Amino acid sequence: MVATEARPAPPATSLPIGGTKGTKLRPETYTKPLREVGSFFALSLDILVQMVRPPFAWREFIHQSWFVARVTIFPTFMVSIPFNAFAVFIINILLVEIGAADASGTGAALACVVYIGPISTVLVVAGCGATAMCAELGARTIREEIDAMRVMGINPVQRLLVPRVLALMVNGLLLNAINTIVGLVTSFFFSVGFQHVNPGSYAASLTLLVGVTEVVVAFAKATVFGVIAGLIACYKGITVGGGPQGVGNAVNETVVYTFMALFVINVVLTAVTTKATM
Amino acid sequence: MTAVPSGVWLPRLTNRARGLVNGWNRLGSQTAFYVRALGFVWEAIVRYKVETLRLIANMSLGVGALAVIGGTVVIVTTLTMSVGGLVAIQLFRSLSDVGVQALSGFASAYINTRLAAPLVACIGLAATIGAGATAQLGAMRINEEIDALEVMGIRTITYLVSTRVVAGVVVTVPLWCMASLAGYMATRTLVIFAYGQAPGVYDHYFHTYLQPTDLIWSMLQVIGTATSIMLVHTYYGFNASGGPAGVGEAVGRAVRASLVVAVAVTLAVAMAAYGVSGDFNLSG
Repeated sequence: MVATEARPAPPATSLPIGGTKGTKLRPETYTKPLREVGSFFALSLDILVQMVRPPFAWREFIHQSWFVARVTIFPTFMVSIPFNAFAVFIINILLVEIGAADASGTGAALACVVYIGPISTVLVVAGCGATAMCAELGARTIREEIDAMRVMGINPVQRLLVPRVLALMVNGLLLNAINTIVGLVTSFFFSVGFQHVNPGSYAASLTLLVGVTEVVVAFAKATVFGVIAGLIACYKGITVGGGPQGVGNAVNETVVYTFMALFVINVVLTAVTTKATM
Repeated sequence: MTAVPSGVWLPRLTNRARGLVNGWNRLGSQTAFYVRALGFVWEAIVRYKVETLRLIANMSLGVGALAVIGGTVVIVTTLTMSVGGLVAIQLFRSLSDVGVQALSGFASAYINTRLAAPLVACIGLAATIGAGATAQLGAMRINEEIDALEVMGIRTITYLVSTRVVAGVVVTVPLWCMASLAGYMATRTLVIFAYGQAPGVYDHYFHTYLQPTDLIWSMLQVIGTATSIMLVHTYYGFNASGGPAGVGEAVGRAVRASLVVAVAVTLAVAMAAYGVSGDFNLSG
């Protein structure tokens, strides 16, 4: 019941700021990025608060999860297979050169779980999941469906955005699992088939350097990526304006911002977890 | 309530066959588009010099909100710097696990050149320039500006698509240089200043294993990938449909397609360039 009076306020204060087009005044062009950042954080805070408020849109959550999964599964395979093959190819050349072809499994596991896994999850979550989500939300915004919801007294943050962010989070976690499995299988066939590594020693050396800690860290990272990509996609999708070019630009900016944010966060998280588990 | 008009023989089979035929036709039209766009490249350079130059200037700095944060150059540099940092953090740890952290310089020369710089430069290109081109062309298609150009007797594929492909590839080369430099610098800074390795040791191994031919291949990799990325993105933009929402949809689809294409082409060129043996001698 407390929620009802708090609800209409946040969208009214936080959303239109990003949507208003500034005039050509000089100060305006400099304050606009700051405003964007501020309203992004305001919306993110709204979403995070609404996430724990009771009425949860289960149906929308399940629909969105399925939508994201449908959009991302094929690209996940197509990105993961060449990426891992490429990395394992380079690592194996090195290992064969120093006479350590037996350890090819270790190299593959390290590459797949620790190095490549998070990066290819970033690529898929940001490039596929977030873009599709922003395009779909942007379409709704441009058709004024969001405004219509607000008029009907339904809070779009609680009804539309919270399930989307959670759906991308769950999918980030699951996609990392697919990434890891596909990567390990690809590496196996690549090492054994093309570079004549002994299959037994590949399997035996798999767990030499990569243990439960590394795997848990990788999955935790993927979850964080999902949440952040979801927040950026929702913000960009709901502040779309300015006709066809505007929608296109919003999706374009979503890709760029999610890539940049996730790559930087990946480095920071890696540095922290490496220090912690060293 | 049947959706199929009466009199159609074997409706379900016909439907499925139609789907297959449509997919096949789409593949054909896509290929025709790519061939035509590449075929008109020369004409674009010769006849639409000003437009090509304008696009090169636009693409290197980005348009709209992206220009405010420094444009494509800054974005791609940030991406490669973070990957270079990743290489330093993770490889230094792995190498010191087996006691050969002196080889960090080698790891930077090897992995940044062959894997990280080309791939990240291409992904940055797809996200910024490529998606921007799709949004622009899509908006032009929806506003019927492309049809207007056709009516005026301008060959739209040359004027809009080939010029963009040329501009994208031209922009990529300096972009790749920036990307490689940023990657090397990030790795070097972290290894020397954060992990405290002697600069002489790092530089020695780095210069020993940095092969000029690797750099040339890396650049060719980027040029090949950039061409295919620009083609994919312009195709989706040029054929956008379905109002403002359709443009967003087209950008999303183009990014998905070009991610897959970028990784696949980079791998293919790497395999072709380095071969199974890797063209590499550790012992010198």
